[in-house]
Amino acid sequence: MADPATVAGAAAEQGSGGLPQFDLSWWPGQMAWMLIIFGVMFVLFAKVFVPKVGGTIDGREGQIAGDIAEARRLKDEAEAQAAAAAAETAEARARAQRLGADAKAKAQAEAAARQATEEAKLNEKLAAAEASLAAARDKAMGNVAGIASDTAQAIIEKLTGVAADAAEVKAALPA
Amino acid sequence: MAAIQPMEQFMIHKIVDLPPVVIPGLGSIDMSITNNVMFMLIAAAIITVFFLTTARGALVPGRGQALAETLYGLVDKGLVGAMIGHGRGKPFLPFIFTLFSMIAVMNIIGLAPTSFTVTSQLSVTVALALMTFLIVVIVGFTRNGLGFFKLFVPGGVSILMACFLAPIEFISFMVRPVTLAMRLFGNMIGGHVVMYMFASFVIGLGAFALHGGLASLGFLGSALSLAMVIALYALEFIVAFLQAFVFAALTCTYLNDVVNLDHGH
Repeated sequence: MADPATVAGAAAEQGSGGLPQFDLSWWPGQMAWMLIIFGVMFVLFAKVFVPKVGGTIDGREGQIAGDIAEARRLKDEAEAQAAAAAAETAEARARAQRLGADAKAKAQAEAAARQATEEAKLNEKLAAAEASLAAARDKAMGNVAGIASDTAQAIIEKLTGVAADAAEVKAALPA
Repeated sequence: MAAIQPMEQFMIHKIVDLPPVVIPGLGSIDMSITNNVMFMLIAAAIITVFFLTTARGALVPGRGQALAETLYGLVDKGLVGAMIGHGRGKPFLPFIFTLFSMIAVMNIIGLAPTSFTVTSQLSVTVALALMTFLIVVIVGFTRNGLGFFKLFVPGGVSILMACFLAPIEFISFMVRPVTLAMRLFGNMIGGHVVMYMFASFVIGLGAFALHGGLASLGFLGSALSLAMVIALYALEFIVAFLQAFVFAALTCTYLNDVVNLDHGH
């Protein structure tokens, strides 16, 4: 308060009861200081505070967006995998069914074929057996006629003492 | 009992004497540190410490960082983005943020008892308002050249009407720094003087009531005044924040006028 003008000004202000703010002697210094401090703060805000806080907010938003995109991608991937697995299962089931059906058909065909050959073999055997039977019977029947003619010749010779003619005997016998 | 001097709280006095700076053409400027300058420095220090300690860039913000980010969002989205536009307003974000923070902190620390309210000094509000006005004019000319003068001619009016309206627009433009400065100054000084007066009633009426008898009613007046002081004190916090917001919002409006001069308006 060494400046006499300032002291006089302050005294005048208090004496008149006016606003101390209207004491213009203080103005240049206060305005200059305000602008200097504001300028320094502006530089701090522009170079440090705003980039730091804004960068943090932008970074967080980016991270959240990235995380959501990543989660969505993973979900899509999982869904695709689930669909692929379901398709694979269905295919495997179809293949198994087809394999089963094929095996069954093959087995049936084989069984039928085997049955057919067995039947054929049996029929053949049967036919052979029948044929041999018929042959045996024919032979037996043939023998019966021979035995009959022989017997008849022997009886005739015995009774008549004359040897009977074989052809006549044969003709006399029933066929 | 001290005399009631509501204006004493606004008196500037020197704390540290510094040599005056002589600027050619302007004369000498007394750069001494006054109580006013000291509280400017305190406000600047509070802001600096606040942002340095809170702007840690954590993904999950703590309490301080959340406050810093809320303030950033308020200025970025609520003021600059909403009034100038997100793209075009971005370069002005640091300026508006500085303006808002400095005024808000200077207003609020002025509410601490025995402190000094920097923004109740007309010189300070005039300095801030003139700076804002000059920035608006400079931005207006650098962005639009002589097209800046279209600001004074409202679009879609006849030439006759334009001749009539242009002076009015011009005057309203030139009055902006005055209203900016007076609004902040008036709000701050008014609130502080009214609080001082009610606080002096608390003591004055209380002392009067000590005479006894009918004067005891003074206690009632004293209690009512105390209630008023408390209510006003709460109100002043709102005013402190609101006036900083209004100053920043009006600055955004003025910048919007010159930044988006080619479209709209």
